Amino acid sequence: MAKWGMVIDLDKCTGCQACTTACSMENNTLPGESWQDVLFYHEGEYPTAQMKWLPRPCMQCEKPSCVYVCPTRATYKDEEAGGIVFVDWNKCIGCKYCMIACPYGVRFYADEQPLVEPDIRDVYPGEDGQMWSPPYQNPEQDWRRGIGIQPKGVVSKCTFCHHKVSKAPEGVADLDEDDPELVEYVPACVRTCPPKARFFGDLDNPESNVNRLIGDKKGVRLLDHTGNRPQVYYLGAGAGIPAFSPRKS
Amino acid sequence: MSDNNVMKGGLGTVLLILSVIVLVASFGFVMYNLMSHGHASFNVSSSLPWGQPISTYLYFALASSGLGLIASLPLVFGFKQYYGLAKRAIFLAFIILVSGMAVLALELGHTFRMLWAIPFNMQIQSAMFWMGVFYAADLLFLLWKFQKMESGDWDSKATRTIGIASFLGVLLASGNLALIFGMMSMRPFWFDGLLPIYFYLTAVTSGLAALVFFTYLAYGFQRGAMPEKLQQTLTGGLPKLFAAALGLTILFVAVRAITGLYSNNPEIYYVWTDYLFASPVYIASVVLGLLVPFALMMSTSLRVNPGIQILVSVLTFGGLFAERYFFVVGGQVIPLFKGTWAWDMIQYTPSITEWALTVMGSALLFTLYVLGEKFFNLSATPEQPAMSAAADQPRQATA
Repeated sequence: MAKWGMVIDLDKCTGCQACTTACSMENNTLPGESWQDVLFYHEGEYPTAQMKWLPRPCMQCEKPSCVYVCPTRATYKDEEAGGIVFVDWNKCIGCKYCMIACPYGVRFYADEQPLVEPDIRDVYPGEDGQMWSPPYQNPEQDWRRGIGIQPKGVVSKCTFCHHKVSKAPEGVADLDEDDPELVEYVPACVRTCPPKARFFGDLDNPESNVNRLIGDKKGVRLLDHTGNRPQVYYLGAGAGIPAFSPRKS
Repeated sequence: MSDNNVMKGGLGTVLLILSVIVLVASFGFVMYNLMSHGHASFNVSSSLPWGQPISTYLYFALASSGLGLIASLPLVFGFKQYYGLAKRAIFLAFIILVSGMAVLALELGHTFRMLWAIPFNMQIQSAMFWMGVFYAADLLFLLWKFQKMESGDWDSKATRTIGIASFLGVLLASGNLALIFGMMSMRPFWFDGLLPIYFYLTAVTSGLAALVFFTYLAYGFQRGAMPEKLQQTLTGGLPKLFAAALGLTILFVAVRAITGLYSNNPEIYYVWTDYLFASPVYIASVVLGLLVPFALMMSTSLRVNPGIQILVSVLTFGGLFAERYFFVVGGQVIPLFKGTWAWDMIQYTPSITEWALTVMGSALLFTLYVLGEKFFNLSATPEQPAMSAAADQPRQATA
């Protein structure tokens, strides 16, 4: 079985948020429930001030702290599915301990106050157990893997678009959106990236493009000191998030 | 039997009715909001997922553990001068834990699912799994111990074994509760291997506050109305123990503050400078809730004064409630992995529903307390021929 990994080239990323939008459309997430986001931040001050951005999906860690803290095994790492970390919505009790334990802040409890008004959950009230039911939604539903629109009271997160990548031909090294044979299996954020800053492939396959990129272009994993060992690698300058500092004004 | 217990009479009935009214009203209000708005009626968010309901649970759970530890003084370690407090301490530990669990139940996304999902999935790597195991054991042992006391069996081999098991259960439950926070290396404000010690100390302090307050309440805040043995405890070792527990709590808070302020790590430093010490409520809670009570209890004349003891217990109650709140929220106010993308520290103020949940837990505690005082003799002590008969006056059960 493949071990799916993502490589994000920050020298190519323009911060356009197309990935964020595509993810939201693909997975029917609510405003603020950004399974994929691009964080914008500044570092330093004039005359060395820098404007930076960082695309941030779930890191699908090799040693995921969210999995260890979950008291019900609702959050689990599925090696058979390429090492993707899922949330089983039939088991999640909404204790939110995984959200406390994730160093990357990539988990969401959407049963919270709306980010924008009107509350889209009131506009499209939930049916069949869903928290909200928009008229157009992805027909793929798998609550055991946290795919689809979640019920109330559970935690949601990026699934590396498992509903797509799981249908890819066995043994494929990379899922490249430029390959007409594979384009339907590529995660939404990768497929939509206009500057082709994202790559998706098998980290266990020595011939994969993602491995070549990580090796040749000195790929790094973020917050490596936490020991979580992400399956998402970053290329290019400025891979990292500066420490928090309060605004002076 | 002691008929001086005002909770057995009309005053107790009035308090019971009031508590039930507040309980029903607050529970109804919380349930209405949860049913109509879900957890959107809370002010927590995906950036700050644990708020006042969790800190309220923590406060109740640790007060229960503190009471369990205090009860172990006579029941496990043989400090017989505390016998007069033991039964009430065990009872209070039980009902405070039940009240805390009620608050936690309404905080979770799926309360009833928890009942099968935790035991059937056996995720032994999760501290929260062990929290369930240890607090369930704690609850069971407290109940069992109370049942033994109620039947007059204070000192048989079986009772002592249950007492020791209960003591260990309390240590494991509250120590593990500390590690739920203390093992989170990605949350540096909490990450601390010695956090269980801090929790034990503050647990005992809040347990003492609860015990002193509810003991006085049972006798209409009149110490002279209490059985002689209880009076002896409240003028003897207990005030000194209270002073020591307050002093050690202050020491631990100071050490955490000094370490945090000295650290360059912004995820600890700014919590202290820009959140805790920037909050008048936090400063007031430390001064009025810990320092003033400690100063009062250090005075040999004041610490035995009934009015001062009641005042100190109330102040400590409030101080430690705030301490729990600021501990839970403080560990989350610095945005995680956001850099300057986050505008500022995460703002959080409990919503009316979250406050109602805290009120509901407190009302449940008062309701169960009055019922306990009405139906049991919580000042009972064991038969001890060596001691004076007068001191043993209230030992018979009333129910």
